[in-house]
Amino acid sequence: MTYEKILFFIFAMSACGGALGVVLAQRVARMAFWLIISLGSVAGLYFMLHADFVAATQIIIYVGGTLVLLIFGIMLTATGPHVKIQTSPGELVMGAAVGLTLLFLIQGTVRSVDWNKAAMVTSGGEFQPGEGKGYNPTGQGNTIRPLGMALLGLRPDKDLGAPEEAGLSSGYLFPFEIVSIHLLVVLVGASYLARAKQRTRPTV
Amino acid sequence: MGLESYLLVGAVLFVSGVVCMATKRNGIGLLMGVELVLNGANVNFVAFSRFTTLGLDGQIVSLFVIVLAAAEAAVALSIALNFYNNHLTIDVDRGDELKG
Amino acid sequence: MPYETTGETIKTLLTMAWLLPLFGFGVEIFAGYWQRDRFSKAAAQFAVGCIGLGFLFSSWALMTYVQDTGWSVRFEHESAHHAELVTAIEEGKPLPGHGGHDHEGHNNEHNGDHGHDHGEEGHSAISSEDTSLAQYAIADPVVAEKPGHDHHADHEHAHDYENEHSGGHVEGPAVFSGIYYRLASFGDLEINIEYYIDTLTLVMFTMVTFIATCIHIFALGYMADELTDDYVDHQAHYSNGKHVHRPGRFYKFFAFLSLFCFSMLGLVIAGNIFQVFVFWELVGVCSYFLIGFYVERKSASTAANKAFIMNRVGDFGFLIGLMVIWTSFGTFKFAEPDLANTDKPAGLFQMIRGTDGELDVDNEAGVVYLQDGHGERLKTAEGNEASMPYWLLVVAGLGVFGGCIGKSAQFPLQTWLPDAMEGPTPVSALVHSATMVAAGVYLAGRFYPMFTPEVLLVIAYVGAITLFLAATIAMVVTDIKQVLAYSTISQLGYMMLGLGLFGWAAGLFHLITHAFFKSLLFLCSGSVIAACHHEQEMPKMGGLIRKLPITGTAMLVGVVAIAGLSIPGVSFGLIGNVVLVLGLILGILAAYKGDKTQIPMAATVVVVGGLLTFTDIANGKAALSGFHSKDAIVATALTYFKMNPAHLLLFILPLITAGLTAFYMFRLWFYTFLGKPRDQHVYDHCKESPLVMTGPLIALSVLAAFCAIGGEGGKLFVMLSESAPAGIHDTIAHVGTVTLNLPGHIDVLRNHASAGNLATIAAFSGTLIAFMIYGLGLINPTDIKSSLSGVHSYLSNKWYFDELYDTMFMKPAHIVARYCTAIDKWVFDAFLHWLSRATLWISKWDRMFDEKFVDGLVNLLGTATFSVGSSFGKLQTGQMRQYVMFIAVAVVALSVVLFVWFPH
Repeated sequence: MTYEKILFFIFAMSACGGALGVVLAQRVARMAFWLIISLGSVAGLYFMLHADFVAATQIIIYVGGTLVLLIFGIMLTATGPHVKIQTSPGELVMGAAVGLTLLFLIQGTVRSVDWNKAAMVTSGGEFQPGEGKGYNPTGQGNTIRPLGMALLGLRPDKDLGAPEEAGLSSGYLFPFEIVSIHLLVVLVGASYLARAKQRTRPTV
Repeated sequence: MGLESYLLVGAVLFVSGVVCMATKRNGIGLLMGVELVLNGANVNFVAFSRFTTLGLDGQIVSLFVIVLAAAEAAVALSIALNFYNNHLTIDVDRGDELKG
Repeated sequence: MPYETTGETIKTLLTMAWLLPLFGFGVEIFAGYWQRDRFSKAAAQFAVGCIGLGFLFSSWALMTYVQDTGWSVRFEHESAHHAELVTAIEEGKPLPGHGGHDHEGHNNEHNGDHGHDHGEEGHSAISSEDTSLAQYAIADPVVAEKPGHDHHADHEHAHDYENEHSGGHVEGPAVFSGIYYRLASFGDLEINIEYYIDTLTLVMFTMVTFIATCIHIFALGYMADELTDDYVDHQAHYSNGKHVHRPGRFYKFFAFLSLFCFSMLGLVIAGNIFQVFVFWELVGVCSYFLIGFYVERKSASTAANKAFIMNRVGDFGFLIGLMVIWTSFGTFKFAEPDLANTDKPAGLFQMIRGTDGELDVDNEAGVVYLQDGHGERLKTAEGNEASMPYWLLVVAGLGVFGGCIGKSAQFPLQTWLPDAMEGPTPVSALVHSATMVAAGVYLAGRFYPMFTPEVLLVIAYVGAITLFLAATIAMVVTDIKQVLAYSTISQLGYMMLGLGLFGWAAGLFHLITHAFFKSLLFLCSGSVIAACHHEQEMPKMGGLIRKLPITGTAMLVGVVAIAGLSIPGVSFGLIGNVVLVLGLILGILAAYKGDKTQIPMAATVVVVGGLLTFTDIANGKAALSGFHSKDAIVATALTYFKMNPAHLLLFILPLITAGLTAFYMFRLWFYTFLGKPRDQHVYDHCKESPLVMTGPLIALSVLAAFCAIGGEGGKLFVMLSESAPAGIHDTIAHVGTVTLNLPGHIDVLRNHASAGNLATIAAFSGTLIAFMIYGLGLINPTDIKSSLSGVHSYLSNKWYFDELYDTMFMKPAHIVARYCTAIDKWVFDAFLHWLSRATLWISKWDRMFDEKFVDGLVNLLGTATFSVGSSFGKLQTGQMRQYVMFIAVAVVALSVVLFVWFPH
């Protein structure tokens, strides 16, 4: 049991436990709390996968942004203190059954795949099976520069290594621009939707 | 820890999200299910980035997903608020006007 | 063309006389809208004005003709010539002026100038006529079979077209013809409104307009009871037994009278046979309107229908004739008078008769060659000689004569005319004298050249049968108007007989004279009926002369005229003096006694006497018009019989009928005016008609008495003779194997005296018998009736003609109709019913099939789709969470399927 494994278990357990907590919690506020636990643990997992920038982004955006938004939503849509929105037990059972089946299905699928062979096939035979054979930057916490370069259209992880293949791989400048515009539109639409307007009589 | 462990965690998160979506009557709970599903997928991406030839691409995609999830959360929240305005409740079962 | 201006003048005058009644009709028929009430006589007076003006124009036209064509000179010649002939024949000496028998002389005279004809030529003509007469009298078949031999002999009175229009010959008879308006032209066929004016037209116009005027004036009085808003028709009943009340139709009556006159005048002036047909039908329609004037009475409407339908039977023949004429000749025009000076095609008469008036018959081939009017045979467009089958010509003649039979109520279509008495009496007068029935005789006369000898023989026999048949019926009927109706039929028979026996002028002569005295008789009977409050049965009258002196006297004139009484050897001058003195004495007596009712009668007698005195032409016989005309016919018949002994009936029947006529007419008069009143009620309420009714009676009685003065040397006869068709006076014709010798004028003259005597004897004996039975009451009519009950009932049932037709046509028609009904009912209807039932049945099944199967299928499909849709719709719960669940389940399911089916 290495140190790394212990950390992984802690993060993995808390992520899964948080997720289950979200599922099982009956109150929204508690669900939000369990969600923070889960998302934070996932950020830990990212760190363990050497994706330091993604992990940071996870914490900043999710925990700092999205969850705050959710909590705002909870507060804005809070009904009376005695109003409980309960799920019927039959649905819970059904959901659990389906969920478990799905979990086993996915797990079965994951198990049934020979990942090394698959990686070898997808990489055209270059990939050698074994841990850490993927993107393995030279030092941890050093993924910001490559990510920024990739978003600007350069792939130092691929293009710099092999001069004869330079220019063949592509960056993410164009998706980046599309996503930025998309986000702008989304945010404008969201602010439009959420703007204060005269409350209408409920139809139901 | 190998790829499969991470994939298992992703699967658990994903399934939890799905079950959450399928069982929560609260609209905000539903959103949380969506976040969980997205996170499950993100874990997979980053794990593939680490353990396969996917490389940096996985991380970039996960970044996109995170950003889009944030935007999605904003939009979904405004929808939820509108729903609440219209129905005076956040119970999604009440929003069945489109039933056949 | 000679007489161009004269022709124009006459045409204009006659056209105005013709169209005035139409104008009157157009105005009067709307009188009902113009007048607020039914009390105004304005429309009637307008009608009288129109027809009166028409009479003035017609007389003016006649005068114009007489003056401009030098007719007086011709008349003097003809009259003198006639007198010479008569004298010569009577004295038995050879006809004066034995000249040569050369035909040159005849031809000279034939083509020559009548106005400057001198005795010499005339005598030479007579001598040759004498010869030909001898030949006819011998009736030598060998001679008779040579038609070309002597048939120019007595063309004295035959004016063929060439003769009439020889250039530069100013003083001669004239015919005017032309086109008013071209209605249409179909290929070669032209439908024109044309006029054809000769002396016959002129005389007819004057006669018709004069009589119509008298009748119009008479009707002013007679129809006066229609001048009310509430006319009670005592002979028409509603179903509840009440009398019919209706507004008076005074104006309408006169409107129809006007239309009637217009139609008749149009028929007379018509220049082609088609136009004649059009007006012929118009006359029929008008008579229909007027006979059915009291339309509320069943009998009247039935009579109108009967008249109309029986006329249609005749018109069917007429139509056939028209078709034959059109197909064979290609024209309807009568004749083109001015052929020599124009390039117009010849008319019908010129096509069928050569310039010598002969038919160009090829007996071998049985065809008739058509002529072009210039003495040559007509060429067709291909250059062949145009011809037509002889039998077709006979068919055309018989067809047209069929129309005449219907119109003139000849045997066998005579039964409509007595029923037509249902109309008002003025209508009867008009129908029976001047218009309707006259139209038939007029057409027969006008169309004379088209009739072959066979057709003429048929005409003669039809006439002979008719005249006898009608006269026998007239002896027994008791309705005053019915007697006159049968008398009319009988007299029309005389006319047809005369025409059929080659006595063209005699037949039309009788038409004119008969028109006068028959209209007089009818108007008199109308006066009697009006006086007796619409009592028409003679047995309820009697002794009316004391109450109705003017009517009675006028009627006596008419009766004497129609009976044909004459006083041989006594001139009218002498009788006139006697009558004049008698009238004066009567007048003085009346004045002395202060009896004002006698004065009009005395005045009438004085007028008659004066007329007799001053109008006498001294031809040695005192007789009224009817004698002269009937005498002419009987003489023709006698001559015909002498030449053709086989046709005895054609002489015997008219001779007997002459006696019968006198009998029934005097029976009527005695019954009505003499003896004791049989019905005191009728007698007491009877009073003389007003002047508006008696005036026309007096006027007509004068003309009825004297219109034929001079007989066959008189003005009327000579005038008519001028229009006689050319070359028909003495032909010898072959009818089958029988040879017919057709009498010429001279032949007739030779027999005139004996025929006249025979007819007079017959008439006098008839009169005497009537006088003994009804005047003196020596023999009780009831005794005769009972002793001859069989004959009487036979006659009073009108020879059972109605019953015969009922049996012959109605019953079979009914039987056939019943069979047809039965067939209809049991075969066609049954089949149709079966068919409809089958259709119904099939459609029921079809409907079931449709509803159950086709509709079921479609509905099933629809329902299934709908239920599938709605069941899917059930899935669409609107629940977001369920959708998520579905997705999850679906993913699981898909994966399971994948793993199961694709284990790798």
